[in-house]
Amino acid sequence: MKGVYTVQEREIDLEELRRHDGLRGPAYVAYAGKVYDVSGSFLWQKGNHQGLHRAGRDLTVELEKAPHDADFLERFPVVGRLKKTK
Amino acid sequence: MARVAREMVEKAGIKVEELLDLLVRNAAAELTTYYYYTILRVNLVGLEGESLKEIAEDARIEDRNHFEALVPRIYELGGKLPEDMKEFHDLAGCPPAKLPADPTDIKAMLEVLLKAEQCAVRQYTTICNMTAGKDHRTYDLALAILHEEIEHEAWFSEFLGEGPSGHFKRSRVGESPYVSKFLHP
Ligand code: HEM
Repeated sequence: MKGVYTVQEREIDLEELRRHDGLRGPAYVAYAGKVYDVSGSFLWQKGNHQGLHRAGRDLTVELEKAPHDADFLERFPVVGRLKKTK
Repeated sequence: MARVAREMVEKAGIKVEELLDLLVRNAAAELTTYYYYTILRVNLVGLEGESLKEIAEDARIEDRNHFEALVPRIYELGGKLPEDMKEFHDLAGCPPAKLPADPTDIKAMLEVLLKAEQCAVRQYTTICNMTAGKDHRTYDLALAILHEEIEHEAWFSEFLGEGPSGHFKRSRVGESPYVSKFLHP
């Protein structure tokens, strides 16, 4: 249907992602093209994860060094797709 | 602070403030786990619960030992614990091991215990990887704690039917066979 799209299809650009750093509102994290809302996590309070990572960013590369897989992100709602930059 | 000791760690290429932050988060995780495990242990009653009580108690006391062993290293490296315990609680590197909604559900209890240990295994593996060959003392301590966390994980997963753990109970409650060398009697 024209003009109707699901949340997962909504495009979020880097600027919008950066604003959702968990300090002034929700904490978003981008991974592999998807944007997750991790605000409900004890381990992402104020957008800070283990003192090593900040929300509001694309952490696809950083996750490779994490002591866990991406399935931890799947517990959290997807709020959109990360808009590709040229 | 132990100035030269910190200098050596810095010179080896470790970001000491980052490491200290992780050590504080883990000290917080150990102390909060000790607290939450106290509530879990109290609720491990009945035929099924009683059979778990002993290892839950070992894990509880050993986690407190881990807290005790971590604190001196934090101060040696020039760090400190937050003055406010509420802040300390919220810094914990692992989520609170809260009593399940139905405390008579022993499987749910075991899952809480197992998840807490698995989180700790991830955390100390990270610290070992970060410090290996660079900060010998923190590495030695993190490795000693990791040994015990892995044994705790194995105990609880055995109860969840994941096969034999290969470990037997401690010879005394909260023995800490690996971490005891860092503790003062
Ligand atoms: C070296 C870097 C990292 C470390 C040391 C680390 C450590 C941890 C630990 C210990 C946990 C808890 C695991 C458990 O409960 O068993 C966790 C959970 C989690 N981590 Fe990481 N992590 C790192 C990087 C990342 C990155 C880059 C992301 C995002 C792309 C991420 C996303 C998450 C999420 C979403 C959870 C689940 C939180 C929850 O369930 O409340 N982590 N992390």
